Amino acid sequence: MLKVTKLTKTFASPAGSVTAVSDISLSVPDGVFATIVGRSGSGKSTLLALLGALDNPTSGSIEVADQDITKLNDRQLIAYRRRRIGFVFQAYNLIPNLSALENVMLSLELDGVGKTERRERATKLLEQVGITEDKHSRRPSRLSGGEQQRVAIARALANRPKLILADEPTGNLDSATGDVIVKLLRDLADSEKTTIIAVTHDAALAKKTQLTFTLQDGKLVKK
Amino acid sequence: MSFVVRGAKNAFRNGLRTASLVIILALSTGLALTMLLAHQAVNAKIASVKGSIGNTINVTPAGSRGFSGGGNPLTQSQVDEIKTLPHVASVSYSLTDQLTTSNSSLTSAITAGSLGQRRRIEAGGGTPPVGGGFAGGGNFTPPVSAIGSNDVNNLAALGGGTAKLTAGKTFDPTVDADVALVGSTLAAKNNLSVGSTFQAYGATFTVSGIFDAGNQFSNNAVVMPLPTIQRLSGQTGEITSATVQVDSIDNVAATVTAIQDKLGTTVADVVSQQDASNQALAPLASISTISLYSLIGAVVAGAVIIFLTMLMIVRERRREIGVFKAIGASNAKIVGQFISEAMVLTLMGTAVGIVAGAIFSNSVVKVLVSSSTSNPVGPGHGFGGGFGRAFGGGVRALANIHTSVGFSLILYGLAGAIIIAVVGSALPAYAIAKIRPAEVMRGE
Repeated sequence: MLKVTKLTKTFASPAGSVTAVSDISLSVPDGVFATIVGRSGSGKSTLLALLGALDNPTSGSIEVADQDITKLNDRQLIAYRRRRIGFVFQAYNLIPNLSALENVMLSLELDGVGKTERRERATKLLEQVGITEDKHSRRPSRLSGGEQQRVAIARALANRPKLILADEPTGNLDSATGDVIVKLLRDLADSEKTTIIAVTHDAALAKKTQLTFTLQDGKLVKK
Repeated sequence: MSFVVRGAKNAFRNGLRTASLVIILALSTGLALTMLLAHQAVNAKIASVKGSIGNTINVTPAGSRGFSGGGNPLTQSQVDEIKTLPHVASVSYSLTDQLTTSNSSLTSAITAGSLGQRRRIEAGGGTPPVGGGFAGGGNFTPPVSAIGSNDVNNLAALGGGTAKLTAGKTFDPTVDADVALVGSTLAAKNNLSVGSTFQAYGATFTVSGIFDAGNQFSNNAVVMPLPTIQRLSGQTGEITSATVQVDSIDNVAATVTAIQDKLGTTVADVVSQQDASNQALAPLASISTISLYSLIGAVVAGAVIIFLTMLMIVRERRREIGVFKAIGASNAKIVGQFISEAMVLTLMGTAVGIVAGAIFSNSVVKVLVSSSTSNPVGPGHGFGGGFGRAFGGGVRALANIHTSVGFSLILYGLAGAIIIAVVGSALPAYAIAKIRPAEVMRGE
């Protein structure tokens, strides 16, 4: 269970302080595919960064498996991101000079998995997301957008996280490829009991998920 | 693949940039190495020169120079006192006399000329010709110099020139014997060769060897054992010149003072060649300073190049750093990866630079030395070739400077390069890594 309570994030700017996320409370049960929708600047990406411990909230709490991650120190946050969270980014964010296989193995290496085991697991994950073996050694620049996003999803799944956070996962893909990626994420939520929270402004994607939160000006306006 | 290996691979991510950086670093390293080698070689040469030339002191009887002036000769006991002074490495001493046709069978190889005539008249030996001119030699013939020394390899008393034994052999100068070395022009004038004999002071001398000092004055001399000339000329225990060798040019001034204090300024004139030596060393000191500043400049330039390059690379990879942090990489691993990358780049540049520096350093140093010492000044004495060392004349001590790359120097260079690489990459990488991942990724 992911439980967010009165979460607020305020940024300082030359024009004064800006509240990107304001007093948001929500909860997402395990194994649910949820979306956060809203217009640009509504605070959805900031909320996702807070959930993934990529940023510190100004106030409020985020409980993941009954542990308040806002109370963790830097070392614990690194471990939290490594073991509990999988990130999928709109721009894929694969490491450009590593092959598809090496990108997936990277997460496993950070978690101390041995070389043989991480190669086996990475190969299996790439096959699971539909990347054929002949493309495992290709660098991201030699993969299509959809293939890169599949590799990114495989990387996110590498350490078997309980929570996958996806920021506009279909934003750079055509609709057909986007549908494939959404189906892939939904199947993962079902099969692995992984909680998936995706930020999107794509209403069609939101309709395909079990839970949708709508943000407007940093506030949760609809569940 | 570890972070270290990944960092090393990243060094080749952009081939053009890698090549450019390696070339720039190689230039910087090569220049630094060349300047370091130049600095070391020049300093070694300065130390060598200080220990070999310009560190002599001439001690003569007060008021006397050669056969001019007057005063009383020095004595063996005074020379022995000089030997006991600090920083005195050695003392060679001699008694100089003149041989004429009245006390020898030798005929001088030098014609008097107007200078000889003037000196003869000034010495009370004649009257000036009508009209004030001094043309012609008349019947006057300049005398032959007879020198007795305790060290035939160091005949400062002969005056300028570099002497070489061209025939025969030298002798033990401390043993009283009727043997002599004869200057080449004097030998030719008197038809002397090795084994020939001539008369001097009523004794018959055998020619032991012929020398060539490269100048007319010195080649019109005979060199004989010191006790022999002292005995035959009636000057037993007397010395007309002593040359003191000091351990370093830095101690010459103090030794001059010590000799003056020991003998007294009314007894001996004490003259050093320190100024001339300092003048000779000035260009080398200048090169030493230039090379030191160039070395510092090259090292600083290399450090700045590495720092700015890594700063640029780190900023360029802000998003990548954010991704690494998002998937659970620690700051240490991220910084370590950039250090590894910087070290590979730096070591490649350093390796190329060391090779280039080793190849070109000798040429650069020679250009520096030749352009700064176009008129080398080389005071000094000694007798060259088989005779021992050179006596009189300049010593081309500054010409032969060679650099050499030692193993320790390479290790120091590599250590310096590694330190620069670590600091230059760790600082910008850590500055980015400590920022929250969301900020790094957002701020691209």
